[in-house]
Amino acid sequence: MAKIGVFVCHCGENIASMVDTGRLASTISDHPGVAVASEYKYFCSDPGQETVKKAIRENGLTGVVVAACSPRMHEQTFRKACAEAGLNPYMLELANIREQCSWVHTDKEQATEKAIEITRSLVEKVKRNNDLKPISVPVTRRAMVIGGGVAGIQAAIDIASAGREVVLVEREPSIGGHMAQLSETFPTLDCSQCILTPRMVEAIQHPNITVMTYSEVEEVDGYIGNFTVKIRQKARYVNMETCTGCGDCIQKCPVKKIPSDFECGLGNRTAIYTPFAQAVPNVPVIDRDRCTYFKNGKCKICQKTCQINSIDFEQQDRIETIEVGAIVVATGFQIQNTAMYGEYGYGRYKDVITGLHFERLASASGPTAGKIRRPSDGKEPEKIVFIQCAGSRDAAKGVKYCSKICCMYTAKHAMLYAHKVHHGETQIFYMDIRAAGKGYDEFTRRAIEEDEAGYVRGRVSKVFEENGKLIVRGVDTLLGRPVEVVADMVVLATAMVPQPDAKDFAKRIGIGYDEYGFYNEAHLKLRPVETATAGIYLCGACQSPKDIPDSVAQASAAAAKVLGLFSKEQLEREPVIASVSDSTCAGCWGCVTACPYNAIDRRDITDRNGNVIKRVASVNPGLCQGCGTCVTFCRSNSIDLAGFTEKQIFAEVMAL
Amino acid sequence: MGLQEQYRKEAAELLSSGEVKLVIGYGEGTTADRRRPVFVRSAELVSRLVLDASGVANLSAYLVPEGLLSDGKKVAVFLKPDGVRSINILAAEAQLDPGQVVILGFDIEGGQPTPLPGRKASDYAPLIESLKGSGLSPELQAEADRLEQMGAAERFEYWKEQFSKCIKCYACRQVCPMCYCRRCIVDVNQPQWINTSSHTLGNFEWNIIRAFHLAGRCVACGGCDRSCPVNIPLRLINHRMAKEALDTFGHYAGESADQKPVLATFRQDDPETFIL
Ligand SMILES: Cc1cc2nc3c(=O)[nH]c(=O)nc-3n(C[C@H](O)[C@H](O)[C@H](O)COP(=O)(O)OP(=O)(O)OC[C@H]3O[C@@H](n4cnc5c(N)ncnc54)[C@H](O)[C@@H]3O)c2cc1C
Ligand code: SF4
Ligand code: SF4
Ligand code: SF4
Ligand code: SF4
Repeated sequence: MAKIGVFVCHCGENIASMVDTGRLASTISDHPGVAVASEYKYFCSDPGQETVKKAIRENGLTGVVVAACSPRMHEQTFRKACAEAGLNPYMLELANIREQCSWVHTDKEQATEKAIEITRSLVEKVKRNNDLKPISVPVTRRAMVIGGGVAGIQAAIDIASAGREVVLVEREPSIGGHMAQLSETFPTLDCSQCILTPRMVEAIQHPNITVMTYSEVEEVDGYIGNFTVKIRQKARYVNMETCTGCGDCIQKCPVKKIPSDFECGLGNRTAIYTPFAQAVPNVPVIDRDRCTYFKNGKCKICQKTCQINSIDFEQQDRIETIEVGAIVVATGFQIQNTAMYGEYGYGRYKDVITGLHFERLASASGPTAGKIRRPSDGKEPEKIVFIQCAGSRDAAKGVKYCSKICCMYTAKHAMLYAHKVHHGETQIFYMDIRAAGKGYDEFTRRAIEEDEAGYVRGRVSKVFEENGKLIVRGVDTLLGRPVEVVADMVVLATAMVPQPDAKDFAKRIGIGYDEYGFYNEAHLKLRPVETATAGIYLCGACQSPKDIPDSVAQASAAAAKVLGLFSKEQLEREPVIASVSDSTCAGCWGCVTACPYNAIDRRDITDRNGNVIKRVASVNPGLCQGCGTCVTFCRSNSIDLAGFTEKQIFAEVMAL
Repeated sequence: MGLQEQYRKEAAELLSSGEVKLVIGYGEGTTADRRRPVFVRSAELVSRLVLDASGVANLSAYLVPEGLLSDGKKVAVFLKPDGVRSINILAAEAQLDPGQVVILGFDIEGGQPTPLPGRKASDYAPLIESLKGSGLSPELQAEADRLEQMGAAERFEYWKEQFSKCIKCYACRQVCPMCYCRRCIVDVNQPQWINTSSHTLGNFEWNIIRAFHLAGRCVACGGCDRSCPVNIPLRLINHRMAKEALDTFGHYAGESADQKPVLATFRQDDPETFIL
């Protein structure tokens, strides 16, 4: 005989204000099989849990329904309470009368009716629950970090320093990401390369880190603790083991006029190249599409130059398969192409540039050796106009969100310019100055007060060229009048947007993304570095626009999550797994194809003499994730899912 | 020599040489224009085989009973292109080895059976490719178009009325080559998902579930239509699902023996029109 206890939680006012909890408890107490029903302000609190435990012991309950919030919030809490009172933890069900009821309704009468239905339906389910035991699976205690920007580097170093192996995968020839392109960094104005390079070197020299550059993730299989990742290591045409990074080949390469991506096209590179001088690893790659040998079959000058014969034109892409237990995604961002603002003339006028171009101009290792020069004629600009929110906070043409870093780096640019060109003048068109952060408001104040950055509140409507000058027309909204500024250069604070392939990549590795392509965290407030896919974590600007301090903090947080996972050799898994009925399976293998975790095999059923009578599908409990895909696929209804059996679901539905 | 004579001769050769153990073809039926399947196991009996414009049934359904092909021996069978497509599906779903099926292929044109040369299912790939997207017969197409024109409510009424006639005899299931499950979902009674009594709800549940189970698998042979004692135009609903599979996922049932089931696979660029 079922003896079910129902515990109706008020969740403070969250539930009680919209659901008549007293009526719910008294109605459900009359339902067949319900032994006790009570209500309380917070069942998740200590005294609340005590009530549940006491009721289990005193009434010999066979099942428990807590009518409260989502199982994502407190299923574990109440399972633990049940176990402590001697009841199998899987004899608990949470009836979600908060997110799925009180929070979304406005009519108390109807919400109460619905809450009663939800609870009744779970009482019917729990009557059919069975004792289950969690499954233990081994954990591969090696992590993969995808993306070698500052976030990925930090996560890799943190995990490796705690003694775990890390594979750091970067698709460019060098690690470093955007931070390697920056000149000096807000809010302290320290040189970006100077603080980043030691980290890059630490990563590559770390005994626990394997850095795989020029490599891309092709496929991710498996699940938390047990992922199999296929990686394509693109052919570099240079032998990584022997190359000393002397750079002789680069000197001699005859193809010299290739616009460098790293320099945002402001400088050139050769066909065999390292993206920048401090590249890690310091091993060049051959750009197959530009190399004369690959194009015409003649040249090989680099090969002749190399003293130690490290150039290998025969090299092929290599596919490696790596087993890891956790994955940290740190694939970063890109800046939006601002050509959509035809009125700003980006792409049309050489002296209308982006903030990233400005970083390269201001960088001591950049194409102008740190001197601010106009791209068009190499002259020193006397007056620069900066346009903030060029793409951000613009639902019509750009993106709706605030890119968060542009107010800060524009202030930084104005300061750097003031430090380098003492008589230079700046005008910054802005909507608001958003400088929340440690030392941030002080930083923008310093730009205004010490470095005389000229802030104009308002938008720019048009930029055009006249007599070698750029005319910037806009409006000063504080004075309420139009302004026209004659400038030598215009710098656009373009929006931070996801990588161009962000959505495809997310689909490939199986994580969620928002409307733009930034990756979704499991919970914006409470689980900000986890994804909804167990074992895959996030850090850096791939999740949302972020500056360096935030990216690094999140990277360490993700590393902590990985290390938490790696603290045990075995992982306890939900015993929610599928099983096939041998007698009815028709052996169509539809489920084998459908299973996203490759958890279903074919099994022969033999007679006593070993003759195969029949082949049926068979679920590997170690691999099954309990997603239920196979259950819905099977036409002959031969698969059932422990914890969510057809009988349970049917009873749930029929109770409505 | 007519096609009937030619195939009787070929059947006799196949049987006497031991190439096949059985020939499945059409035989005399209860009326002049009805054919019933015949199973010929010796060359002497090939005169029982009849092939004329009345040979419309898709005989591939007779290949799947348990044990028939488990000795590895071959069976010859009279098949039209729709039958060849169902052989491909059965092969893709591991119900038979296409290497064991010798096809005596034909089609019916101008009221006459005409020969098709392929003897293996794979020989039919170009023909099947050319049929892709070819729809229903003109009369059925007209009816399908009429349904398409209707609003959702009107169409629902149409099917409600049609399904209300169903007596749950399961002839449609019995005749269909794709309905090979040893236990059909309709026979599951713990729990009983589908109501077995013949009332509107139960009938709807049965017919809609069957249509879903045939999505991307029905080859429009018309067996269900013809066998239905109360004349429900079942092919129309199955054809509608086939059209959906073709238009949305480019899936034409039975294209090849290694075709993946459309409802168990996905491509990254699959349209997601159903996600709101
Ligand atoms: C103009 C400008 C100025 C800035 N100035 C400052 C400043 O002064 N101070 C500050 O704090 N912040 C500044 N920032 C912000 C800073 O650049 C970012 O916070 C930081 O770079 C984010 O690091 P990340 O590692 O998340 O991303 P990224 O730096 O973008 O690194 C991501 C890495 O992942 C790699 N990758 C991408 N996809 C894949 C894939 N599929 N497989 C393998 N690898 C992949 C990329 O090649 C890249 O190396 C500035 C940004 C801009 C645009
Ligand atoms: S889908 Fe069903 S019938 Fe087909 S192999 Fe799997 S369990 Fe068996
Ligand atoms: S429930 Fe079925 S489809 Fe899902 S992982 Fe388990 S076996 Fe695979
Ligand atoms: S559903 Fe009907 S038309 Fe389709 S394959 Fe089966 S019997 Fe033939
Ligand atoms: S053949 Fe017709 S009457 Fe019989 S079960 Fe099928 S649809 Fe119903």
